[in-house]
Amino acid sequence: MHPPTKPSYDSLMQPTRRHFLGTSALGMGALAMRSIVGDAQAAALPKGTHFPAKAKRVIYLFQAGGPSQFETFDPKPLLREKNGQPLPDSVRQGQRLTGMSGYQATLPLAGAFTDFKKYGQSGTEYSDLMSHTGEVADDLCVIRTMHTEAINHDPAITFFCSGNQVAGRPSMGAWASYGLGSMNENLPAFIVMVSQDATKDQPLYSRLWGSGFLPSEHQGVQFKAGKEPVLFLTNPEGVSPHARRNMLDALGKLNADQRATELDPEVDARLAQAEMAYRMQTSVPEVADLSKESAATLAMYGESVKTPGSFAANCLQARRLVEKGVRFVQLFHQGWDQHGGLPNGIKRQCKQTDQASAALIKDLKQRGLLEDTLVIWGGEFGRTAYCQGKMTKDNYGRDHHPRCFSLWMAGGGVKGGYVHGATDEFGYNIVKDPVHVHDLHATMQHLLGVDHERQTFKFQGRYYRLTDVAGNVVKAVIA
Amino acid sequence: MSSHRNIVVLVSLLGITSYGADESVDFNREVRPILSDRCYGCHGPDANKGRKAGLRLDESEGATKKLKSGEIAVVPGDIEKSAMIPRIFSTDPEEIMPPPELHRPLSAKEKDILKRWVKQGAKYDPHWAFVSPVAHAAPAVADPSWPKDPLDAFIADQAVKAGLKLSPPADRTTLLRRASFALTGLPPTNGEVDAFLADKSADAYEKHVDALLASPRFGEHLAVNWLDLSRYADTWGYTGDNPMFAWPWRDWVLKAFNDNKPYDQFLTEQLAGDLLPDPTQEQRVATAYNRLHRMTFEGGSIAEEFRQDGINDRVMTAGYGFMGLTLECSRCHDHKYDPISQKDYYSMAAMFGDQNENGLLSYHGEVPPPFVRLFKSDADRNKDAELRAAVRAAEQGLVTTHTVTEKVAVTVPTPLAHFPLESFTKTGVDDSVAGRKPAKFERRGSPEDLQLVPGVKGQAVKFDGDAGFILPEFKQLGRFDAFTFSAFLRLDEKNARATVLHATGRYTGDGDASGVELLVDHGKLRWSMIHLWPNSAVSIETATELPVGTWQRVTVTYDGSSKAAGLHVYLDGREAKTTVVRDTLHAKPRDNALEIGSRSRDAGFRNGSLDEIQLWRTSLTAAEVAVLHGADALTLPELVLAEHARLRANPTYTQAWSRLQEALRALAAHQESAPAFFAMEHSDLAPKTYVLTRGEYDKPDLSKLCEPGVPVRIFPWNDSLPKNRLGLARWLTDPKHPLTSRVMINRLWAQVFGSGLVTSSENLGMQGDLPSHPELLDTLAVDFIHSGWNTKAMLRRLVLSATFRQSSTPSAEAREKDPANKLWARGPVLRLTAEMVRDQALIAAGTLVEKVGGESVQESANRRSLYTYRKRTAPPDNMLIFDAGSREVCQPKRLNTNTPLQALVLLNNPGFVEAAKNLAIKVSKSATEPTSQISQAFRHVCTRDPRPSELAALNELYIAQKASPPQFTQLISAPTKPDAKADIKTKKKTPVVSVQAPTKIPSDPSLAALTLVCSTIMASDAAVTSR
Repeated sequence: MHPPTKPSYDSLMQPTRRHFLGTSALGMGALAMRSIVGDAQAAALPKGTHFPAKAKRVIYLFQAGGPSQFETFDPKPLLREKNGQPLPDSVRQGQRLTGMSGYQATLPLAGAFTDFKKYGQSGTEYSDLMSHTGEVADDLCVIRTMHTEAINHDPAITFFCSGNQVAGRPSMGAWASYGLGSMNENLPAFIVMVSQDATKDQPLYSRLWGSGFLPSEHQGVQFKAGKEPVLFLTNPEGVSPHARRNMLDALGKLNADQRATELDPEVDARLAQAEMAYRMQTSVPEVADLSKESAATLAMYGESVKTPGSFAANCLQARRLVEKGVRFVQLFHQGWDQHGGLPNGIKRQCKQTDQASAALIKDLKQRGLLEDTLVIWGGEFGRTAYCQGKMTKDNYGRDHHPRCFSLWMAGGGVKGGYVHGATDEFGYNIVKDPVHVHDLHATMQHLLGVDHERQTFKFQGRYYRLTDVAGNVVKAVIA
Repeated sequence: MSSHRNIVVLVSLLGITSYGADESVDFNREVRPILSDRCYGCHGPDANKGRKAGLRLDESEGATKKLKSGEIAVVPGDIEKSAMIPRIFSTDPEEIMPPPELHRPLSAKEKDILKRWVKQGAKYDPHWAFVSPVAHAAPAVADPSWPKDPLDAFIADQAVKAGLKLSPPADRTTLLRRASFALTGLPPTNGEVDAFLADKSADAYEKHVDALLASPRFGEHLAVNWLDLSRYADTWGYTGDNPMFAWPWRDWVLKAFNDNKPYDQFLTEQLAGDLLPDPTQEQRVATAYNRLHRMTFEGGSIAEEFRQDGINDRVMTAGYGFMGLTLECSRCHDHKYDPISQKDYYSMAAMFGDQNENGLLSYHGEVPPPFVRLFKSDADRNKDAELRAAVRAAEQGLVTTHTVTEKVAVTVPTPLAHFPLESFTKTGVDDSVAGRKPAKFERRGSPEDLQLVPGVKGQAVKFDGDAGFILPEFKQLGRFDAFTFSAFLRLDEKNARATVLHATGRYTGDGDASGVELLVDHGKLRWSMIHLWPNSAVSIETATELPVGTWQRVTVTYDGSSKAAGLHVYLDGREAKTTVVRDTLHAKPRDNALEIGSRSRDAGFRNGSLDEIQLWRTSLTAAEVAVLHGADALTLPELVLAEHARLRANPTYTQAWSRLQEALRALAAHQESAPAFFAMEHSDLAPKTYVLTRGEYDKPDLSKLCEPGVPVRIFPWNDSLPKNRLGLARWLTDPKHPLTSRVMINRLWAQVFGSGLVTSSENLGMQGDLPSHPELLDTLAVDFIHSGWNTKAMLRRLVLSATFRQSSTPSAEAREKDPANKLWARGPVLRLTAEMVRDQALIAAGTLVEKVGGESVQESANRRSLYTYRKRTAPPDNMLIFDAGSREVCQPKRLNTNTPLQALVLLNNPGFVEAAKNLAIKVSKSATEPTSQISQAFRHVCTRDPRPSELAALNELYIAQKASPPQFTQLISAPTKPDAKADIKTKKKTPVVSVQAPTKIPSDPSLAALTLVCSTIMASDAAVTSR
C-alpha cells in the first residue's frame, strides 16, 4: 500500500503536469480525491469521499447575529414564571459575559413573549413565530445544545464558517469544493448569497466564504440579485455573445500557438478556464432567472420571493442551484442581534425567514432532492436567558450567549422529527448531549461521505482540516 | 557534501529512486521527514501533552532509552532488538505504527529507509536549517564558459548530474521582460525594448539591470511581498473594519528597498527601531510593523483577549517573516515538530508584549497609543525639541518661585454648579444651579431607577449601577483645564468597580475611557485624566479603601498640568494618601459631557449615594477644600496655608504657572498639528507575561513567568544582548544565525525564479521541504552576510546569472525529466501576480499614473496596484481572484491558480476593458494600418512582436468585428455598491474599495474592433506570463 500523498500547498505552487490536471476544469477535487483515496475500498466511491455519502450537497441558511433560542426553538416556561427575577449565581457559575452586560447591576430573567405549540407527528415544539417551520417539523432535526467558544460576533461567525476564530482558514464551502469538487462544470461549486432585505446590524466579511490557504478557485462565488449575478460576468456594453465567441476563438489560436512554442500545458489550462468562463456567462443567467417558476412555487415561498435578493428569493435560488449540481450554497441573513427591542426585532426576522425556509424544505422534498441535500439553519451563537439593559412589561433584550443555542438540520441523511439534546430549565447550560461547532462540522462532512479527520491540507508544515484537532460525528442525528 | 550524496539528492528530487538493500541513508534528507511527519506528533518535542509511551524520536537519547514497557525503540545497529521495527512492519491495527487513525501510513520504501537507518547505526544529524550556513566552493563545470556567477556552477553541476542539458540563452526581448518583471513588477515599454535591442555594447544587459535596480519602481515591486508577509492593509479588519492609518509605514518599506537599506537594519528597525539609541522618527515609524495586526472595537469585547491575540500575531508574523518558522503552534503546547517549547513561545511573546497598551480600539477612532508624531520636516522636529526645552525651563521656573510668608485669607470660590439633589422633575431639571441659572440635568436610564434617600443635607441620590445623570453643560474639561468635583459620597458595598464620574461619552470598554474619571476600584478611589487608557493618562489611587456605610465628603481636584502630581483626592477635607497609577498623558482627551453615577457598558455606582454635588472650573487648594468641609482656616497646618498663599497670592508663582501653561499648550498645539502614528514603545508598565495554559488568554499559569527570550535550541542566546526586541534583532542578525540569511535568500530567489531553493519558503523547519541546492543556498546566505546584507547586490547577481538568462522553453526531454523546473536547467516562467497583471494593463494603455508613495487610493486613480486601498473584510475582488490575500494575517506566499473567474476579470472587469480601450485609442493614433496597430498593441502588452500566426488570428478577429459593429442593446447597470455598512457607525469618511462603472466599448467600428483585439491580447497567455 502506498502512502497517500497529499497535495501540499507547495506542490500546488509547482506548475507540473499533475497540477495542470488538478486545476483544469475538473477542479481540485480530482486531485484531492487521488490523494485521499488510500484504501482499496475507497476506489469505488465518488471522488473525495471516504464512505458512502448520504448528502451530495448542502444548503446552509446562516442566520447572522445570533438568533434567540427562547423565542424560536427552545421553550422555557420557567423563565416566564421567574420573569424579572435575577439569574441565580448557581446557574451562571461564574461564566464569562460580554463587556456589554458583564457590568450590568442585575441580570433579570426574561420570559419569552411568544407561545410555543407542538407540530407534526413528532410533536416538536416551535414558537408561534416559526409556524411555517412547524409545518415541516417531521423533516427537521432540532439541535438545542449547540455551543461555541467565542462570545463576540466577528470571532464567533468566523469560527462557525471556518472552524477557527483566526482569519485565514478555508470556509466550510471551500473545503467541500476542494474535497468533493463540482457536479456541474459550468457553475462554481460554492455559491454564496446575502439577503438584501435583512437589517444589517452586524457586518459580514468575505473571509466567511473565503478559500483561506486553499487555491482561490474554492472561494465562494457571490451571487447577487440583478443583471450581473456574478461579478464581471457581463460582457462590456457593445460586446455581443457572438463577438465574445470570436474573441475566445482568437484567444484559442493565440494560446495554441503559445502552447506549441513554449511546450507548457499550463497554457491549455488557461484556455480551458476561459472557455468555462464563457459557458458560465450562459449558465449563470439561466440559473438565476426565476421567471419560469410556477405560481404555486412562488406562493409557497411567500410574497417577498418577488423581491430580488430577499431571503425568500435566495432560498428559491438555492434550490435552483443545487438542482443544477452546485455542491455548497450558503445564504447569509443578518439582523438577529437583539440586544434590545427583541420582541419587535425577532418578529421581523422570523417574518423574513420562516416561510421561505419551510418552503425550501417542501420544495426540495417534492422534487426528490431533500433526501440527498442537507439543509442547515442557524446562527453563530445564542442569546442569554437574562435581559440586557432595561426590562419593561413588553420589551427586553438579550446579550450574546455561546454556552447553548439551537439550530436545525434537515434532509441529507438527518433524522427528521427529532430533537437532539437538552438545556437546563433556565436555558443557560446544557444538561444533555452537547454539540460543539466542530461536532457539527464533523457531522456535516460525515453526511457528505467525508471523514473529517482525513480531509486535510498541508500548509506551513502542518496538516489542516475544517475541524482543526477536534470534532466528533453526532451519530444520534443521523437517520 | 559528498558528490555521492548529491546524486541521492537529485534522484530523490526527480522521483527516480532505486535503492540497493544497503544503500546508506541520509538522516536529514530521508529519515527525518518520515519521523517528523508520522511520529513526532506523539513522540516528538512536545513534552506537555501527548507524548505517548514516554518515547521521543526526535533525538537519539530519547529514541534509544529503555521505556517503561522495558522495550527500547531504537537499538542502533540492531534491527532485532529495536522495538520500533516490528511495530512499523506490523499488520495488526492494534500494533502498527503509525496508528491507522493518523491516516498517513508508511510506504514500503519508507519502512525500508527506517530499517536501514537503524541497521546503519541510527545516526541523528541536526536539522539542516538549524546549523549555521557555511560557504562552499563552486563545483567544477564541464563548460567553464557557461557560468557568469559562481551560483551558476552549482546549478550546472546538479543539472548535468541529473542528465539535463542547460538551455540556450533567452532572446533579448524575453530576457528584458523577465528582468523587468523580476525587478520592477512592470514590463518594459516598447521604447525601452528598442533601445535595449539597439544597444550592441557587451554590457548592455548589465546597464539595463542597473537602471531597473535604480528605478523607484524597484521598491514598489519589492515591497509587495513584504506587505503580504507583514499583513499591511488600510483597515483594522474586524467588525466595523474602520480605516487604519498605516500607509506611512508602507512608504517606509518602499523607501527602505529603494535606498537599499541593508537587510539587517531593515529587520532591526522594524522589530526594535524605538529601542535604538536616539531613534529617529523614521526608525520609530518602522516599528509599526508590529502594530499592523487586526484590532477590534466590537462592543463587549474583552481587552485582554484581544491584547493577547495581537501579541500572538506579532510573534507569528516575525516567525514567518524573519525565521521561516511556524511559531504559533507553540502558543497552546510545545511545538510538535520544531524545538520550540511553549515557554519559548511566551518568552517571544514577552518581547512583543512589552508595551503599555490596550487590546481594543477606541470606538471613536483615535490612533491607539503608543504613537509617534509624524512631523513633516526637520524644522518641525526641531521646533518640537525647542518647545520641549521650553516646557522644562518653565517647570524649572515654577520650582524656584518663593513661598509667601504672610497669611492669606482662605475663601472657597463659589461653585460653578451646585446640585443639592433634593428632588427630581420629569423634565430632568431640578433645583440645581449653575452660574445662578438652573443647571441642566438629564437622567440616563429610567427615572424610577434613581432613588431619593435621606442624605447629609436633606435628600441624596442612590444609584442602582445602571442609571445615572448627565450634565450636558459641563464639557470641554481638557487636559489644560483645572477642575474640582466635590460631593458627599457613601458606599453601601465594597464595589470592585464603580464609575462615579466620567466624560467618556460612548464607551465600549477600556479602549474608550477618556477625559476625567472618578472610579471606585476594589473599594479605593481612582482619580484620572485620560486621553486613552492605559497608555496616555495621568491617574492616582487612594492607598486605603473607603469605609462602607458612612458618608464622607470626597473632593477631587485637577490643576490642568497634565501630570499625576496635579491630581489630588481629599476625604472629609483632608488630603488622602495616594499612589501614582499612570503619569503619561500624551494628547488631549475627548471632552464629552460629564456623566455621574453610570456609564454605558460599564459598572455604574451600584449601591452608592451622592449628595450636594459641587463643581468648579478651578483647582481648589488644600486649604480651600478644608474650609469647604467646615474647617477653621486658622487651625490649618502651616504648610497647607503656605501652599495656599503660594498658589493664590504669589504673583511670581502665578506668572511662572501661566508661562508653564503657555509652554505646555504651545507644545501640545505643535504636536497635535502632526498626525499620530502607531508605533512600538517599551514600557515598564507592560503586563508581565506568563505561559497561558492551552493558549487561553484568561488562564495564565502564574508559576510560569516568562522573561523576554528566544527559542535557544535553534540558536543560542548571547547573554551580552539586552533582553528585549533590540536583543532579538541582534540575535536574528548574528552572522551565525542559521535562519535569517537563508530565509531572505530563499525569498529573493523565489522572487526572481518563481519558487525558492526551499519550496516551502514559509517553513524551513522540520516539516518544511529540503533545499534543492543546499550548498548553493548556504553559499549565497554567507555571501549575503559578507556583502553587508546587500539586497540589491544579491538581486543583481541573480538576474545577471547565466541560470536566469536561459530560455524557459523546455526540450521535450527536459519537460519529461524535470517538469516543474526544480533544477533550473531552463529559465523561469512566472504567471504574473494580481498587481503585475493590472499594472501591465495600465502601463500598456498609457494610463498608469506613476507617483511614489502616499495615501492609498481607489482603483480608478490608475496608480500601481500596491497603492490600492486594502479593506480587509472586502479586499479588491479582481486581486483576490488573482490569488492576492486579504492581508488579515501574515501571508508568506501566494498560490498560483488558474480559474474561470480570472478570465472574467481579464475580459470584463471595467478596469481591464478601459485599459483595452485606451490601448486601442493609443495604437490607432500611432499607426494607420490595422496590422501595425495590432502589432504595436501586442508589443505594448506582451513585449515581443506577435508571431505571424498570432497576428493572423488577431487580424481575423479585427476584420470580423469591424464588419459587425457593436450593438448597444444592453442597459448600463448601476455600479454595484461595495458593502459600506461599517461606515454608518463612524462619522468619518471611509474610503471603500472602488467599484468602477461598467464600461462601454467605443461605437466607432474600427476602434471597437481594435478594443476587442486589445482585450483578447490582455487575456492571452503571452500577456499573463513572463517567460
